[in-house]
Amino acid sequence: MMTVIQCENLEKKFRKKKALQNITFQIEGEKITGLIGRNGTGKTTLLRILAGMTKQTSGTVTILDKTPFNNLFVSANSILINDQMQFPGSFKLQDILNFAPDFYEKWDAELATRLLQYFRLSPQSYHSDLSKGMKNTFNFIFGLATRCTVTMFDEPINGMDEAVRKDVYRALLKDYLAYPRTIIISSHFLDEMEHLLEDILLLDEGKVALHKSLDELREHAIGLQGPADVVKKWATGFEILHEKQLAGNQLYTVLKAQDCTFNEKQLLQEGISFIPVSAGDLCLYLTNTRVGGIDDVFND
Amino acid sequence: MQLNSDGTKPIYVQIAEWLENEIIADQLRTDDKVYSQYQLAELFNINPATAGKGLTLLLEEQIVYKKRGLGMFVTTEAKQMILVKRRNERLTTMVQEIVLEARRLMVSEDELIELIKCARSGEERK
Repeated sequence: MMTVIQCENLEKKFRKKKALQNITFQIEGEKITGLIGRNGTGKTTLLRILAGMTKQTSGTVTILDKTPFNNLFVSANSILINDQMQFPGSFKLQDILNFAPDFYEKWDAELATRLLQYFRLSPQSYHSDLSKGMKNTFNFIFGLATRCTVTMFDEPINGMDEAVRKDVYRALLKDYLAYPRTIIISSHFLDEMEHLLEDILLLDEGKVALHKSLDELREHAIGLQGPADVVKKWATGFEILHEKQLAGNQLYTVLKAQDCTFNEKQLLQEGISFIPVSAGDLCLYLTNTRVGGIDDVFND
Repeated sequence: MQLNSDGTKPIYVQIAEWLENEIIADQLRTDDKVYSQYQLAELFNINPATAGKGLTLLLEEQIVYKKRGLGMFVTTEAKQMILVKRRNERLTTMVQEIVLEARRLMVSEDELIELIKCARSGEERK
């Protein structure tokens, strides 16, 4: 498979603060990758570097074998969609669509028009007059219709209502099935879109915490719930990712599954149940640096 | 079919099981062409790689076979193999769970057997 995106030892500093450090990963072939991480972990900065909008402080990055910063080939073959996209103020949506094929040779005008109609965006309205959700819907349509070899969405669903989000995810999948390409989506709502993703790139404080396929991620951890002392007994020797006290002296523990094979029957008999850990929860546990939870703030 | 995404069962396993159900119900017979990973992706609204993994699972268990360039097809033994597998794995675990729950609820062995008999005859009357 062809390497589409490659980062090696990427670092980005803003003044003295390191926004990204030691970023090394590669994305091969036509995959949909979810870029996941808490607020302020560098997702947007990474995407901006990949799109050539900002330059890294050190390290190397290549998109389609080219360095993205100041590169026409990369800017013609990649796009970053976010809510800060600027279009000329005097342009109506239709004008934007009319100009798009000059910049993006694979532009699908029919798809753009049909999606605009479906989402009830008037071609005669101005981009700056749209509400937040509608603006992001338009930006999403624009990004999808460019059919760029590397298509990146930074928090595309912000402000969209639930029905629109569902349709947007479906549209993305259908168009991807018809025209496979490399897609990266960053979002806080992993649960909502995990069915779309093949891989996950998890950032934590400017570093890559994990880069795995979703299927591997789901096998990365197991959750045990039962009487506290019994759970503790079984959890010894495992790396504990998360722990939560529940009512009635019950304990819920999430363990890193290091090729462990628990005897399920034995555990069931001792009153322990296996609770599945969703990919979204697991990503939270893996990037939670705080000890304890919000409850501790209110405890004396 | 609605996919269950709470993590209890990986999506690709659910895809494999759905195809197995189609085979058991004779919706897919010997030498019929099985849905491609792209059709499954579209049908269930999932990433094609996940759908592909479900198909690989069936390929490994020789429930389907591959014809190069043409797709996957149902093997002659598929239905029989699925039935045997379901009996051995699923039914056994389900019975274990029932026995465990019965013990918790202090249902005696005789009562439990009676319950199963009732359920069976109720089923037959339908």
